Amino acid sequence: MKVRPPGPGHYDEMLLAGNGIREHYRDYGQWLESCDEAWLAQRRQEADLLFHRVGITFTVYGDEQGAERLIPFDALPRIIPAQEWQVLERGLAQRVQALNHFLHDIYHEQHILREGVIPSEQVFTNTQYQLAMQGLDLPHDIYTHIAGIDVIRNNDGRFHVLEDNLRCPSGVSYMLQNRIMMMRLFPELFARYPVAPVAHYPSLLLDTLRHATPVDNPCVVVLTPGRYNSAYYEHAFLAQQMGVELVEGVDLLVKNEHVYMRTTAGLQQVDVIYRRIDDDFLDPLAFRADSSLGVPGLLSVYRKGNVVLANAMGTGIADDKSIYPYVPDMVRFYLSEEPVLENVHTWQCRRPDDLSYVLDNLHELVVKETHGAGGYGMLIGPKATQAEIEEFRARLKAAPHEYIAQPTLSLSSCPTFVEEGVAPRHIDLRPFVLCGRETRIVPGGLTRVALRDGSLVVNSSQGGGTKDTWVLEEVTPC
Amino acid sequence: MKLSISHDTTYAYEGEVSRSTQYIRLTPHSSERQTVFQWTLDLPVDASQLHDAYGNIVHVMTIDHPHDAIAIRARGVVEILPDADEGSDGINPLFFLRETPLTRADESIRDYAALHMQGAARRGLEHLMADLLLRMPYTPGSTHVYETAAESFAKGAGVCQDHTHVFIACCRSQGIPARYVSGYLHTDDDEHLASHAWAEAWVDDHWHTFDVTNGLLVPSHHLKLAIGLDYMEACPVRGVRWGGDNEHLSAQAAVSLAEYPLFTDQ
Amino acid sequence: MLSRIADNLYWMSRYLERAENTVRLLDVTQTVSLMPVGANQDDLNALLEISGLRSGYQSSHHALALPDVLKFFTMDEANPGSIYNCLRMARDNAHAARGKITAEMWESINSTWLDMRLRRTREIGVWNANAFFDWVKERSHLFRGATYGTIMRTDAYQFIRLGTFVERADNSARILSVKFHRIEDYDRPVSVADLYQWTALLRSVGAFEAYQEMYRGEVTPAKVAEMLIFRPDFPRSLRWCLDSIASILVKIRGDAGLAAKRQSAELFARLNYGHMDDVLAVGLPEYLQGLMADIADIGDSIRKGYLEAV
Repeated sequence: MKVRPPGPGHYDEMLLAGNGIREHYRDYGQWLESCDEAWLAQRRQEADLLFHRVGITFTVYGDEQGAERLIPFDALPRIIPAQEWQVLERGLAQRVQALNHFLHDIYHEQHILREGVIPSEQVFTNTQYQLAMQGLDLPHDIYTHIAGIDVIRNNDGRFHVLEDNLRCPSGVSYMLQNRIMMMRLFPELFARYPVAPVAHYPSLLLDTLRHATPVDNPCVVVLTPGRYNSAYYEHAFLAQQMGVELVEGVDLLVKNEHVYMRTTAGLQQVDVIYRRIDDDFLDPLAFRADSSLGVPGLLSVYRKGNVVLANAMGTGIADDKSIYPYVPDMVRFYLSEEPVLENVHTWQCRRPDDLSYVLDNLHELVVKETHGAGGYGMLIGPKATQAEIEEFRARLKAAPHEYIAQPTLSLSSCPTFVEEGVAPRHIDLRPFVLCGRETRIVPGGLTRVALRDGSLVVNSSQGGGTKDTWVLEEVTPC
Repeated sequence: MKLSISHDTTYAYEGEVSRSTQYIRLTPHSSERQTVFQWTLDLPVDASQLHDAYGNIVHVMTIDHPHDAIAIRARGVVEILPDADEGSDGINPLFFLRETPLTRADESIRDYAALHMQGAARRGLEHLMADLLLRMPYTPGSTHVYETAAESFAKGAGVCQDHTHVFIACCRSQGIPARYVSGYLHTDDDEHLASHAWAEAWVDDHWHTFDVTNGLLVPSHHLKLAIGLDYMEACPVRGVRWGGDNEHLSAQAAVSLAEYPLFTDQ
Repeated sequence: MLSRIADNLYWMSRYLERAENTVRLLDVTQTVSLMPVGANQDDLNALLEISGLRSGYQSSHHALALPDVLKFFTMDEANPGSIYNCLRMARDNAHAARGKITAEMWESINSTWLDMRLRRTREIGVWNANAFFDWVKERSHLFRGATYGTIMRTDAYQFIRLGTFVERADNSARILSVKFHRIEDYDRPVSVADLYQWTALLRSVGAFEAYQEMYRGEVTPAKVAEMLIFRPDFPRSLRWCLDSIASILVKIRGDAGLAAKRQSAELFARLNYGHMDDVLAVGLPEYLQGLMADIADIGDSIRKGYLEAV
């Protein structure tokens, strides 16, 4: 099969400008060229069928039917050479370490605020700042046990961090399932390539969670909002892979300063909750009273130190888009190091100078809500109509502090199976960082791909697909 | 002044409740401006006690067997020292600029606050407080417990909870940190319920009392139970239950002068 | 294990078993209809009676005709007992308990459901019903096989089996009580005309061959009843079901289900040491009424003890 070349000025993961192919894709390119188109199509159909049968589906928000859809899987892998991964790995570990320091600091002495690195009001007036966490000591001072860091590659070929996800990052199940699928569809490729394994992620996760409490032989559970949640498949999958209970709020009970689950043999104490429910819904007696997903009284047990939540409450203050611009400063402040990974330049609309620049250049910028997520509530200037731009202009003027703006990035592209054959589509990358005894990152991550030609929105809720991510192991010649 | 408090709350349910959990903020703590001499809280089952994020004393109670009523009884004696300064509680006042669903300022509250708060902050707030009571006369039964500031302000009537919410919304819309206080008030007449709510606003590096309903700026007859961003965070009892259909609440609070240490409990 | 999950697993297998039993009943009714004597109104009524769906059917249908009844029992979304709904509920429960069943089990039940949705888009009638019945039975066997072959023998497995046998016990008792409603002489061999009916009943519980092997020759109501109530080696007899329920309950950890354990052991003892003479002494319909009430009580105790435990 032939691969269509990317447009000029774009960074493509496989193809070089001109007609060349990057070294680490050379074997793959040869293999692909030798493949029969019909055979490949058949393999891809098989993948679809398998995903459906296994039920790897997600629920679309706002879809009243709660219909389950498949996230399109693209059978063409995204390959990352060993040296590039090493840099990424170092940068990710450094960044998450700094973010954990930041969380501990603002919920204790607040050095970073006192020294004026971050303005106090940007923390205290932010709804993601959780007063209930103030002064609370957590085991090993870890706040974000599981982080998903969204990374993109710009025109210049360098990686930038686009977003930190420190609350309930999802997508790791696709990383695992995509690999299983690729090994099943194209076993011969794995003989050609030294692809680093990712299948041990669940056992690393369990180890991280067990380490998160001082309790010996702790009871760990996964707390899900239930099977109508878009990521339910992942919650169930991870619980099963770790061999722990998948619980819903109704299964848990707070009594005598502890959390228990209701089992067929009576109440059983729970020590660590890997929660996939947002802060606001965790305890209807402390936060949103209308939440039926949480556990009444959970906050009281948490404050007593008798249960560990992973991630901790209040981590949202560190991944908020209004705090994001300060992350490189956090690295310098807490670790006295230069950040390995750069941020994407960000204008904070709360600052009058930034705001006026943004308002003057709306047609070129991406504007995001500081609390938004999932690709909702954002303006992509170059793709927006004049009406959309004017609408955002009004919103920005009314509440500038609720927005940030970034340059329109040209995310790197990767060849992808589409209607017309194999063509370049834009991608990002979400590696998962585990913080326990040590910081560990499974070599890989979730590569999301914008399936529409020219689109930069990779979110699954908006027509994005996924790819298997191959991190190559360094092969020492014998 | 020494106050003696007797406060009974009973929840009765039409059907059987299979289990329930409550957060109970019915225990005052001693501070520069109040000394708790004696306090007992009678609950149907054992409860655990802790301090919440604001330093309020909270009892957490779970009843995990079928029940159709919950009775809560608080008794105690507390001395009020109105002239004492409470000092800082360690929470950054900026935190109390945060809006909640119950204290969100809509356009009319924002306009109203801006109009009445010209000049010095303290004087502006006093002026606002006086005007607010005229604008929203104390009217028992005019609002329900989950009424938002915007709703009761539009109605032009309310009870202490509504006055406090609207006042807080005004303050925050003007960039002045403000918080909700739940407690007891001693009055000479029987017109007002003894269970009370008022506001505190952060001005000139201090928390100042604004009891809108009574037009009071000095908490001379006020016993503080709990603080929070709004009613939901400071209210005496907040619970979740499984089953039980309709709930009937009856509450009776009596606050009297404890001239002698007469208080006894059986 | 979690009470909620135990509930899901229990109902997952109850619904699957119900789907299979319904298909067996439909299958014989359909078969009888192809014979010279044909299926009459009584047979169709009996079908509705056994499943307790008579009023549901009557509220949406005027006449009692085989094609309508077929559709009602297979594809009707409004009928809570239709195969379509049984498979939907089974799959929904499996979905909710997904973390506790194996990938093979999930794939089996999920692809059954996906296939069922596809089949529902096609017309069903007397001409193709058999293929559908075979498919349902096959999917049920496949799931049972996947369960047997892949799942750990922990409490999850016990609750799955518990659901199967509680549902089956209930079903066997219902079939008997409807069929034996108007028998006068239990020991007289049935007439040639009735033979088809009795053979059909035996087939509906998959017992025809077994009956032939054990009793050889003539079919009498007493022997059929004995087989379905007391046989220790027939996997759809009430005795077998109760034996299974009682021994499964013993294996479930904890003291939560003492009432269910006691009731099932008592009922099993009555069946284990029971005899047809006792049955005939009180009258079969009365005896079966008692059995059904006892089985319902056991189901209730299982629910209270394990499935909604505080």
